[in-house]
Amino acid sequence: MKKFVFMFVSLFIWIQGAQADVDPQQAETFMADIGTKVITILTNKSISDQERADQFREILETKFNVKSIGKFVLGRYWKQASEEEKQRFLELFKETTVASYATRFKDYTSEKFEILGSRPEADGGVTVLSRIVRPRGQNIPIDWKVFEKNDEMRIYDVILEGISMGITQRSEYSSVIQQGGGKVEAINEALEKKLGFYQ
Amino acid sequence: MKTFFTALFLFNLMLTPVQAQEDAWSYTNDDLHPGEEVPINKEERQEELNPSQAADENDPWESFNRGVFWFNDTMDGFLFDRISEMYKGVVPEFVRQRVGYALRNLSEPIVIANNLLQGEVEDAGDTLGRFLINSTVGVAGLFDVSTDLGFPYKKEDFGLTLASWGVGPGPYLVLPILGPSSLRDTFGRIGDYGLDPINWWAYLDDKAFYSNIRTGVQILDAKTDNLELIADLKKNAVDYYASIRAWYQLRRKDLATKERQALDTPRPDEED
Repeated sequence: MKKFVFMFVSLFIWIQGAQADVDPQQAETFMADIGTKVITILTNKSISDQERADQFREILETKFNVKSIGKFVLGRYWKQASEEEKQRFLELFKETTVASYATRFKDYTSEKFEILGSRPEADGGVTVLSRIVRPRGQNIPIDWKVFEKNDEMRIYDVILEGISMGITQRSEYSSVIQQGGGKVEAINEALEKKLGFYQ
Repeated sequence: MKTFFTALFLFNLMLTPVQAQEDAWSYTNDDLHPGEEVPINKEERQEELNPSQAADENDPWESFNRGVFWFNDTMDGFLFDRISEMYKGVVPEFVRQRVGYALRNLSEPIVIANNLLQGEVEDAGDTLGRFLINSTVGVAGLFDVSTDLGFPYKKEDFGLTLASWGVGPGPYLVLPILGPSSLRDTFGRIGDYGLDPINWWAYLDDKAFYSNIRTGVQILDAKTDNLELIADLKKNAVDYYASIRAWYQLRRKDLATKERQALDTPRPDEED
């Protein structure tokens, strides 16, 4: 009986999810569009740092799924966190990401974003393969994990040279939390300190 | 005798499968099953079955490692980064690239040896081809012609060979100067050093310093390549030590797996 109920419930919940398998072609177009936009924003020297950060934040909020990524990055500690801690974490996570990217690429010029292809994955998402072509220095291969939810496509992970940023950050934040006595507050404080450092 | 048992013990550590740091935990969902512990959806069930996170942090020697890591970082700050910057400032990129390629070419025989030890005969053939073509047409390895011909560089080392024999990485280990490694990969480095025909030649011919110079240049080359990346990581990471650790472990895992693995990544859930 328990097994039946479990199966029924998970099927019910799974259907509610309305997660559609992503069309690789659409995913590629989606990424091509974003990639070019992001590069333009991040290498734009004529706007202020603040403006650049604002534009990048908008992309982050509309094209990435910050909540899912944040939840994944917090890993096993998400369950332990209070609602307030979760919200604070997501906000800090988003802001530190914006801050770290807003100034990183200021010195880059004429970088081009190239889509190399895509790969449907077993979990229903698509990995879009791309690279940043640099006029001087090595090209940077980047993969993007894209899912479609409620008719909206979003980025859920960034993979550099086969290494998922989601997993790397999860491991890193987990270490911070463990050192802070297993409290989610530890990572929130660390992120807040980091944010202060950017400003 | 004592050495033998110490080595055996250490070897054993590598073979022990990494144990999940937590028991597979389940959740209580009071809404659906008051008081009962049942995983409530596909995603959470998956997380329960694959506590992959626990495996990521295999670092029982963390305090020691952090110490060495801090030491390396300080050494970098005082010495190696300054040398790398000078190298980068004085030597044109074209020349630095040539040096890099030549060094890599010299290491191809080790790659071949490891290809064979792993039973990858086709890869061994490809690497041999790379070595021969780059050494001749590519002028003593200065030019990586083979990549343009469709034979890109495929790194192999003894650590990866051990991995292909089923040896797990073992605990994370930071080596002085050399940086992040694992117990298995450290044995791997020793193995490669011993296998390397150039080292044999240098030592037997009483020209050990040739070998040491080459090692020094290899380290310089590697550090110079990664100067920006490291500085970037250091600036943006919340826990720099932990990011490097995660990066290293994931990179090795990725290199060791021949078939592409399905990555554990963030994905949509019903809360969105």
